[in-house]
Amino acid sequence: MAVQQLPDTLINQIAAGEVVERPASVVKELVENAIDAGAKRVEIATAGGGKSLIRVSDDGSGMSPEDLALAVRRHCTSKLGGGLNDIRTLGFRGEALPSIGSVAKLKIVSREPGAESGYEVRVDGGAGGEPRPAPANPGTMVEVRDLFFATPARLKFMKGERAESGAITEVIRRMAIAFPHVRFVLSGPDRMTTEFSTAARPIDRISQVLGREFADNAIEIEAVREDVQLSGHVGVPTYNRANSLNQYAFVNGRPVQDKQIMSALRAAYSDRIPRGRFPVAVLMIELDPALVDVNVHPAKADVRFRDPGLVRGLIIGAIRQALEREGDRASTSGTTGMLSALRPQGAAPAYRPANVSYRPPANWSQEASPYRPQNTEVPFGFAEPVQPGFIDAEIPSARAEDIPPQTAAPQASHPLGAARAQVHENYIVSQTQDGLVIVDQHAAHERLVFEKLKGAMSGGRLPSQMLLLPEIVDLPEEDCDRLAEKAADFEQLGLGIERFGPGAIAVRETPALLGEVDVPSLVRDLADEIAEWGDAAGLRDRLESVASTMACHGSVRSGRLLKPEEMNALLRQMEATPGSGQCNHGRPTYITLSLADIERLFARR
Amino acid sequence: MKITIERAALQRALTAAGRVIESRNTLPILANVLLRSETGTLSIHATDLDIEAVAKVACEGEDGSACVDAKLLTGIVAKAGGSEITLELVNGSVIIKSGRSKFKLGTLPIEDFPQLSDATFDAEFDMDIAAAFAPVRFAISNEEARYYLKGVFFHAKDGKFAAVATDGHRLAESTGEIDAEFAGVIVPRKLCEMLPAGNVSIAVSSTRIRLTTAALVLTSKLIDGTYPDYIRVIPTSNDKIVTVDKAAMTAAADRVSTIATERGAAVKLSIAPGQIAFSKAADGNTADDEIAAEYTGEPVDIGFNSKYLHEMFAVLPSGPIDIHVNDGMSPALVTSPAVEGWRGVLMPVRVS
Repeated sequence: MAVQQLPDTLINQIAAGEVVERPASVVKELVENAIDAGAKRVEIATAGGGKSLIRVSDDGSGMSPEDLALAVRRHCTSKLGGGLNDIRTLGFRGEALPSIGSVAKLKIVSREPGAESGYEVRVDGGAGGEPRPAPANPGTMVEVRDLFFATPARLKFMKGERAESGAITEVIRRMAIAFPHVRFVLSGPDRMTTEFSTAARPIDRISQVLGREFADNAIEIEAVREDVQLSGHVGVPTYNRANSLNQYAFVNGRPVQDKQIMSALRAAYSDRIPRGRFPVAVLMIELDPALVDVNVHPAKADVRFRDPGLVRGLIIGAIRQALEREGDRASTSGTTGMLSALRPQGAAPAYRPANVSYRPPANWSQEASPYRPQNTEVPFGFAEPVQPGFIDAEIPSARAEDIPPQTAAPQASHPLGAARAQVHENYIVSQTQDGLVIVDQHAAHERLVFEKLKGAMSGGRLPSQMLLLPEIVDLPEEDCDRLAEKAADFEQLGLGIERFGPGAIAVRETPALLGEVDVPSLVRDLADEIAEWGDAAGLRDRLESVASTMACHGSVRSGRLLKPEEMNALLRQMEATPGSGQCNHGRPTYITLSLADIERLFARR
Repeated sequence: MKITIERAALQRALTAAGRVIESRNTLPILANVLLRSETGTLSIHATDLDIEAVAKVACEGEDGSACVDAKLLTGIVAKAGGSEITLELVNGSVIIKSGRSKFKLGTLPIEDFPQLSDATFDAEFDMDIAAAFAPVRFAISNEEARYYLKGVFFHAKDGKFAAVATDGHRLAESTGEIDAEFAGVIVPRKLCEMLPAGNVSIAVSSTRIRLTTAALVLTSKLIDGTYPDYIRVIPTSNDKIVTVDKAAMTAAADRVSTIATERGAAVKLSIAPGQIAFSKAADGNTADDEIAAEYTGEPVDIGFNSKYLHEMFAVLPSGPIDIHVNDGMSPALVTSPAVEGWRGVLMPVRVS
């Protein structure tokens, strides 16, 4: 067969293979268009998981009949005025509408806000495309029916209706986080209606999408390095998930699923979250469009940064700083779970019917109970009666101490309060100004020892064991170049390397802390890491993991009886140590139970 | 098979052969010993597929063979009340009787018991291999990646043998006279740790080593690898020689490393005429100590891993030890006037 120019319809169908992968990608393209048109309200309706119908309507700027005619033709766009180096809109390729039109039945109805009437254009499997007058509201409505009817092969690869409609929800969730000022309504016969009303602050929208619980457990981050600005909210380490679905990243407002950003996020939490658990985070990166390439793939989920090391460093630095600042915060979700566990079975709902204001029975005295803990004063009344009960308990695993008055009063400067008792030889119960705290003594002490060892490691050059037989590691020349560039950093950590010919690195000293170590694999790992990220945190991580093991062995065990002075000292050290909210394995070191929660348990509130 | 053996002799033989058996096995047969009685001798075979041990003990009775669990048999023999033990194979079970106790153990098919293939040996000689290997064993590497360092390098030439071990941080070499010649072989760590004491008959080839005593024959595979050219790293021109007392030196190094927080605690030695000052700083604490030493040269500072120092000195007899140094960055040579043919090399630790 001779070489021939393909017809337009075929070209569009080929492009559709990449741009329009599944119904969710159609939704993404159409919602992006709506937002690029300045919409304040975007309504999305789907049927049959988006396969039979997708309808996206907006109140944006609309299109003139001339624009409409061009919009459905390939490589026609209004968005790329400044060239590929200055992309300020979500879309820019001019491929989406013609691609969709080539594989589905597409109808666009649009009216410019000032125009007298609207116009519509229809494309069926690539055919059609002449605008004609039609009634319309201001803005644009795009309707896609029978997706992939023109390419049955692709239709066969679609997942079930439920999976496709779930994917569409996910697209809208991402868009909703990126554009809090836009109202989104997602409805249809295949789903429950979801509405994200206009949010004043990003965190309001985030809690609409991710739930109130995330907002309660999130730390705000804000950092600028050179021309890159990072903002967003990250979960405290103890608020983690079993998968990475709840990690949202946006670059200049564009939702992305970028490997580099996600890996930086993972690295930032590396020693705080157990393996196999994932932090929850919303990261917004803003930078000059010229410094980032979004034209990597038609789906635009990947981006390339001009300076990936800078972005990675910014993310890791900002998150770590935030976690250290709020390091002693533990997740409240544990407390919530505990509260529901503590409530008498079946009784609680009767006290607090959902959304119905509670009225006590008429004959119930409205006066405060005389035994109610006095919030304003030193609440001795709480501590004293409880202690004798512990002493009388048959199992003598809880000890009560006569606490000298000067240490007994919880002070505002001591958020972890004053130790009251040690129960089951592992848990310190401490009283704070507005509640009580239960501390896992082993986990807490382990973290303290670890942070101390880490601190010792960062001061000065680490001792290095010189090698009798220098280890020669053969590596590709580029890897050798990269390693040699970082030689001074490695030397600081006790790893002495130097160039050994073009394709090899000679290792002359290794960190004494690591003992006997598999040098070639260590060096190869470091080379890989530099190649991918531009820096090598791996060596420090290895050293820290040695420190972490030593910390585990060097810390107070469960089962050790602690004197009141020791308990208080531990609490004071935890307050002073960043990151003491969770142990090295990522478990919380303490949980708080506020007086309000306790009162709720006893139906006082 | 039905035989009677002296209990104590059987216990000795079982223990000697049983040291080859790993405590955990994925192949059940490897947890067994093969018992074979032939014309008044019971041979007990044990193997981990790398080393095969055959212990021999005198017995009386019918010939025969059986495979039984080594741990159970050893336990039974150790606790048995009588001075003699009878073993009898009946219907696929071994009946063990001693005094008034009786045990019945299941067996595995004897043809499943693995046999090391036969080998021809290039050199045969007698020597006290345990004594030769003992002062170098501590330096054997544990690093999986450098498998060829996980044993003692053993070679003989021009009437002299050398046994060498190194882990890349330190090295020890022991040499002596020998009436044989063979190219270097690497003897695996496990065999080095179970060498029979005293003079033994040795046979080596490029793939096997066999040690024979009256009661035990150990045959082992050798590590298949190229040992590094170790002679190159033994310093020959270290002219600053300091002589110290072994006990004083190890005690001082031990004392200052008390404050160490980390593994591989480095100790700094400041060698000056007449003395060595030890110092150590960790975690805001410092320790200083001093011992007398014979030395007349320029002052030198050098850091060592205190564990390495301790392990190397431990193989030497009490009394004076010579440390030959060049500077704080190059290897130090350790010798003892009381031990001829032994040399140790220690690589320094760089301490700030």
